[in-house]
Amino acid sequence: MEKNKYSFSLIALFAAIMLVWTVSCTRDFDELELAKFPAIPEVFIDGFSAGLNYAAFGGSKVTAFDVDNEVRYSGSSSMKIEIPDAGDPLGAYAGGVYFTSVARDLSSYDALTFWAKASKAATVDLVGFGNDLGESKYLVSLRGMKVNSNWKKYIIPIPDPGRLTAEKGMFYYSEGPEDGTGYTLWIDEVKFEKLGTIAHKRPMILNGNNAAESAVNGLTLQVGGLGMAVNLPTGIDQTVEIAPAWFSFASSNANVAEVDSQGKVKVLAEGSTKITATSGGKEATGSLTVTSSGDFTHAPQPAAVPEDVISIFSNAYTNVPVDFYNGYWEPYQTTLSADFEVNNDNVLYYTNFNFVGIQFTSPPVDASEMTHLHMDIWIPNAVAPGSRLQVKIVDMGPDGSLNGTDPSIIYEIPGPLASKSWISADISLAGLGSKTKLAQIILENLGTGLTGFFLDNVYLYKGGGGTVTGPEVAAPEPPARSASDVVSLFSGAYTNLTGTDFNPNWGQSTVVSTEDIAGNSTLKYANFNYQGTVLASQQDLTGMQFLHIDMWTADATAVGVTPINASGSPAESLVSLTPIVAGQWNSYDIPLTAFTSSGMSLNQVFQMKFDGQAGTTPSNIYLDNIYFYKTGGGATEPTVAAPTPPARDAASVVSLFSGAYTNLTGTDFNPNWGQSTVVTTVDIAGNSTLKYANFNYQGTALSSQQDLTGMQFLHIDMWTADATVVGVTPINASGSPAESLVSLTPIVAGQWNSYDIPLTSFTSSGMSLNQVFQMKFDGQAGQNPSTIYLDNIYFYSTGPAPTEPAAAAPTPPARTATDVISLFSNAYANVAVSSWRTDWSVAVLEEVNIAGNAAKKYSGLDYVGIETTPTTIDASGMTHVHIDVWSADITSFGLKLVDFGADGSYAGGDDVEHQVNFAAPAKGVWVSYDIPLSNFTGLATKAHLAQYILVGQPAGATTIWIDNFYFYKTSGGTGGGPAAAAPTPPARNVGDVVSFFSNAYANVTVDSWSAVWDDSDVADLTVAGDAVKKYTFTNFAGIDFSNHKLNVSAMTHFHLDIWTPDDVVAGDVLTIKCVDFGGGSTEATNFILTVVHTVTGSIPALEKGKWISIDLPVTAFSGTLTRSDLAQIVLTSNLDELYIDNLYFYK
Amino acid sequence: MKSLSHIINLRTILIMAPMLLIAGCVEKQAERTYTLVWEDEFDADGAPDDTKWVFDLGGGGWGNAELQTYTSNPQNVKVEDGALMITAVNNGGSFTSARIKTQGKFEQAYGRFEARIKLPWGPGIWPAFWMLGADIETNPWPQCGEIDIMEYRGQQPNLVHGSVHGPGYSGGAAITKSFGFANDRFDLEYHTFAVEWGEDFIAYYVDDNLYQEINPDDLTGEWVFDHPFFIILNVAVGGSYVGFPTPDTPFPQTMYVDWVRVYREVL
Repeated sequence: MEKNKYSFSLIALFAAIMLVWTVSCTRDFDELELAKFPAIPEVFIDGFSAGLNYAAFGGSKVTAFDVDNEVRYSGSSSMKIEIPDAGDPLGAYAGGVYFTSVARDLSSYDALTFWAKASKAATVDLVGFGNDLGESKYLVSLRGMKVNSNWKKYIIPIPDPGRLTAEKGMFYYSEGPEDGTGYTLWIDEVKFEKLGTIAHKRPMILNGNNAAESAVNGLTLQVGGLGMAVNLPTGIDQTVEIAPAWFSFASSNANVAEVDSQGKVKVLAEGSTKITATSGGKEATGSLTVTSSGDFTHAPQPAAVPEDVISIFSNAYTNVPVDFYNGYWEPYQTTLSADFEVNNDNVLYYTNFNFVGIQFTSPPVDASEMTHLHMDIWIPNAVAPGSRLQVKIVDMGPDGSLNGTDPSIIYEIPGPLASKSWISADISLAGLGSKTKLAQIILENLGTGLTGFFLDNVYLYKGGGGTVTGPEVAAPEPPARSASDVVSLFSGAYTNLTGTDFNPNWGQSTVVSTEDIAGNSTLKYANFNYQGTVLASQQDLTGMQFLHIDMWTADATAVGVTPINASGSPAESLVSLTPIVAGQWNSYDIPLTAFTSSGMSLNQVFQMKFDGQAGTTPSNIYLDNIYFYKTGGGATEPTVAAPTPPARDAASVVSLFSGAYTNLTGTDFNPNWGQSTVVTTVDIAGNSTLKYANFNYQGTALSSQQDLTGMQFLHIDMWTADATVVGVTPINASGSPAESLVSLTPIVAGQWNSYDIPLTSFTSSGMSLNQVFQMKFDGQAGQNPSTIYLDNIYFYSTGPAPTEPAAAAPTPPARTATDVISLFSNAYANVAVSSWRTDWSVAVLEEVNIAGNAAKKYSGLDYVGIETTPTTIDASGMTHVHIDVWSADITSFGLKLVDFGADGSYAGGDDVEHQVNFAAPAKGVWVSYDIPLSNFTGLATKAHLAQYILVGQPAGATTIWIDNFYFYKTSGGTGGGPAAAAPTPPARNVGDVVSFFSNAYANVTVDSWSAVWDDSDVADLTVAGDAVKKYTFTNFAGIDFSNHKLNVSAMTHFHLDIWTPDDVVAGDVLTIKCVDFGGGSTEATNFILTVVHTVTGSIPALEKGKWISIDLPVTAFSGTLTRSDLAQIVLTSNLDELYIDNLYFYK
Repeated sequence: MKSLSHIINLRTILIMAPMLLIAGCVEKQAERTYTLVWEDEFDADGAPDDTKWVFDLGGGGWGNAELQTYTSNPQNVKVEDGALMITAVNNGGSFTSARIKTQGKFEQAYGRFEARIKLPWGPGIWPAFWMLGADIETNPWPQCGEIDIMEYRGQQPNLVHGSVHGPGYSGGAAITKSFGFANDRFDLEYHTFAVEWGEDFIAYYVDDNLYQEINPDDLTGEWVFDHPFFIILNVAVGGSYVGFPTPDTPFPQTMYVDWVRVYREVL
């Protein structure tokens, strides 16, 4: 069927000629107006095109480029580029520019194209055009061009051709040796073309990310990450790096910051603005939100005279030569620099901070005359608790080069770090073994909360004059002592009391810091008049004999010290430290009788005080090794009876062992659970006391199940001479976990320790206390075996149980307005609620006020309806519903949500509803429910929520208070899962692994990945082709294989990969509990691993947005490592979402 | 009822002629007059009109080692802003997409079948507008016949292909021809793809440019295009025809269909 072909073709040809002629006519006319440059497309076909020149880059091998008449893609020749080997004396790399002396008009083309091949497979660093050896205004670069030994056509698109009316940079390249080896690259047929087949141009700034930067007025920032993705004629996406001139930048609030044509942002005023860009009429992806905290506060003017200073970075002194202020040390460094200048004051600004090095090796600094390094630090963002910043000062040492063995000192900026104020650090060089060749200052982020800071006035100086001088050697090392012989506040030799506040505000002038003196952390009181210390808990020091203190001072002349007791009179008694020898460490051992002779007691010491006001004031003192001790020979058995418990209402106590209360009858204090412990009762000063000798662990079996949900505390008195860790737990007959070991802390040896453990310490694990039938003490995590004496083991509540809440409900966290729909809270804007008690409800509503906070009280509650009509709530974008509920008598709480469907009104056939119930809620406390909306499985639609029904039992007889009733969405968000699969486990022999879930091994049978008894959800998902499980937590998720129990005793290691989309903050935790049934039908023993927000020993930290591999020996778990009858693994977490993969044991 | 007076415009062909890449010749077909008998303008947002379309669901490769699993999920198929959108989604290396057909709803022998489509892009993307013999349940492929009005490979965004499959000329031996643009692509704007089908011809058009006519003489087997066919629209991912997506294939990828119209010839 080609009958008409020829005649049509002839007509077509004629038409084409007509079109060309018409276009030519128009072009002539344009030239008169615009005086265009020539539109020559050829760059290199078989030789240089008209007017083309070549120039090699500085430092490159200038002879690298040549014309090759033998190897070519077409025609007679090609461009040959010989990339040198590493170490080539003629140049380290090949690179150069092909440019014209007269510009060309390239606006009618859409790409530079060329053919290339190489003598081996390689990745060319950079090729592109727009490099004119000058401004290179319209630079376009393809980074990482892959070549091999076959000719292939490459396309570099012109982002917005209309701009290229006068371009001189025709082509450029830059490439170094690959793995130290050079090779040959041929390029041919280099020309600009109008392809018409490159499409979908997508410009981007900040690599397409939406970034945020903190700033101050006067600061300038450069918008980076400029590029454009295009779809090539092959359908493949390719991204090129392009210069700022291809974009038009805009600031959403030019009063806050303006942005120029080069993408340079100048911050003008306090506030926030968003920098965006367009290119070729298309909105670029990515943005930079700049938030200015206002005017810049200059760092304090340095006071030292220039003769005593070697300056690294300051405007006050002349700086020595510095190699760099940011080494960009790959691959681990993330820190970027955004240094700025305000009113001729230069400031270093480190962003995205993990660590950064300042280096000055040419020449290194001879600091032999210097005593200190000074620096001023300003943190522009709010600082999360736990943020820490470390400074390391490095000397090249005797070998005169930087390597792994250089002398250095490490100093941590005293915390807590403050934001938006200058922190001045004066770091003593005293501990530095060599300081004649200082070469580096390395700043390192030790925590997670610090994202960036300004740095100014970095200089070395010579102390003396007004400068504080300090010790150059560490305080004497205290002798080794048994832990039970020491109560230490501050010492590197003993375990210190935790939670001590060394700087309470008592109105003193003293500035407290810790300073590293020759590798030893030392307490420094500068500008000292007096100074208090507050202990985290009262200490009974009646068993101690001495107070030890080491002190160094250059100027103090009289210093007194006293412990402060919480009871008795006097509460304190100042004792002078004598003699004071200036300029050396003085060690004092003060008999405690020096204090008690005044009549003061030491049974409830809760504070300490140093006072220098009787002498030179202010002065500077250094302190170390502050501890109370006794000189060994401690008793092995108590000589006094345990404290007598207070009288209590019988209804408020459930006692197991005590002379003060009526004990439960029939309790078996020595069931045979395989323990080594020998249980006896002994008489101590007329008081019957329980003695566990040869103690590893010990159970107690009650004669009947006890409902302890009405109790608040477990009380235990314990005396030991040698036990170091003792845990205790009640054991419940139902629920999971059945037990939750809580440590008795602190354990002070040689005296009675009284513990009042809130029962919430147990129930926070998810365990219940409604059917307690056993108790367990476990000492295996510490000294084992040991001997402990126990008395007064009882559960109690303080007085009559509260019948109404005394405290307000917890304040909800701050949330973005769009992330929350609140019905009732003071924290968020509330939507209109048409009724808080519909007329069909069975409850009495009262508006009440609890500790200044509004709440709603429903008494006589069976159920109550709350309505939002006719304006319903669209919660389809929310992930959770929250409500705080308090009740003294509730046994079951339920929440039903009702959606009226698309018609927005009751009935109509599209109403859906679902009720979630909570059995045995905790009584007498605010219970915060955060329920995933996915738990309301019957609630198929959530766009027209209209009724919210609260249900309580006993029906019609319970009273509840509610607050903070709202819907919200989690920051993690749905869909924010991992993009990549978890790491693939290594191949292992079949007998070397017991896998629950992995694609790498055969998996055992698991009965349920989210057991019926847990409160969390699991979903099976695929990530990058790899199956994963996604847990959505309420509290805990149970992986149950109790119908297919396993003996994994032969396995030595545990593996689990985890990924969470949640922002990980301090307090976030995941516990992995492996449960062994011990041959029975319920939990017998367990071992637990706790993963928190920081690295803990060998246990990795929780981290947002990356796969974390937990790969540890089983011995890293705590508890009983028995695993011959493994039945369950329980994951407990306060994270919202967790993805897991590769759960297995191996050897 | 709309009627179409189908006259190939001479001026249009003259201007378009220099753009033809593969189909260097343009053939004139006898003028035919058609009347509209079935259409979907995709004007009602939501799922495809279930009086006109049914879903093909599932995975398994569809005989071509294709990677996608077909769903009726709105993420993969929906009507919005006046167009049918069939979207191939990459869920971390597993792909979902959609395939809808008029089987059991609308079937016709002969006439003009056309659709206005904007195509997706990227290596391994394989959208198609095609037809199968309505007797496929009792008369297995290829005996039932297949008319591919438009097929396209995402790595060749300037080319489309028209084919027939039947006994002795199926799969790789199908009778096929391509139409392309020298400097334009099918994923930038809408284009109209059509066949005109009679007792002894099937003529293929892109934007009213005739680029192929297949007659019984052209076949290497029996002419089976003599009974009703139904229409299929789908976006496949990977497979023996198109090859497989690469890491540089952008996802998601959507085929937009402005309308589908079927005409009967007015004799």
